[in-house]
Amino acid sequence: MTTQDLIEKIGLRPLSKFEHREVDGVFISDMLSDVMAGAKSGNLWLTIQTHKSIIPAANLVDVSAVVITGGKEVPEETVDLASKYNIAILSTALATFELVGKLYGLGLGAD
Amino acid sequence: MSECQHRWQMTNIQFGFVVFEKCFHCNSLRTYFSLEDIPILGDKYREGKHFWSRVENAQSFRFDLQCTECNHLEEFEDLMGLLYCTGCLPDCEVEVLRKKYEAERTWVLVAFGHLPQTTEEPIPSHKLDILTEYFNQKRDTSRSTIKIISFNLIEDISRCKGDFIHDVGMLSMEPPEERKPLF
Repeated sequence: MTTQDLIEKIGLRPLSKFEHREVDGVFISDMLSDVMAGAKSGNLWLTIQTHKSIIPAANLVDVSAVVITGGKEVPEETVDLASKYNIAILSTALATFELVGKLYGLGLGAD
Repeated sequence: MSECQHRWQMTNIQFGFVVFEKCFHCNSLRTYFSLEDIPILGDKYREGKHFWSRVENAQSFRFDLQCTECNHLEEFEDLMGLLYCTGCLPDCEVEVLRKKYEAERTWVLVAFGHLPQTTEEPIPSHKLDILTEYFNQKRDTSRSTIKIISFNLIEDISRCKGDFIHDVGMLSMEPPEERKPLF
């Protein structure tokens, strides 16, 4: 499963410039410290946080993409920083719960 | 000297708060880790020549790294946080290194020890190397790598606008306002 597949199958909207890559599991958290302590390389990170600090945290743990749920607006500076780091920011109007259901249906789990 | 090719794993993880206090008399800043949330009350208290007041509580965590092969434990209780360079000071050595490494797809982060102790005794370079190793062991290094460097490469800490990877304002339902520089 790649970020490209998720965009096509779930309709996630890409906001930043990035190279597509493999997605390996899902991690859900709105705390940077939680992500730094628990997320794994390749994880898809689901959050409602949009502050630009999510990007260095995402980069540090090498997530495959950050998915902003609930249709939250993402500031331009966050998107710009993500593009600089080659981090995928994807957005969706789906609530986190609904998105998790779809991801689970596609075979992704908490890996 | 160990010949083990260490494989690091995070251990002894404790979630808590990095508390920032500032002396309104001399503008000194100090930080410490607390397991409990300490509200920013605006209260000031005297300690020797300083008059401390809390200026920020950031949700954070502390950890140690342990080798899964030889069980060697490296403690990081002195690590206050990681800061990313925003390129605010063009001649700053951190910015020079950041530009140099970014051309090689290596992302630079600055390790901060707790203030003010770290200004006297920065985090030892072997610990920074271990942190670098740990984050690189966890990632797909064919895409990019991480380099952790010491804060004492910052040219002028009082003008640094780097941003800590901390959770600020996470206990509030109000959206956090733009962060103010701590220094």
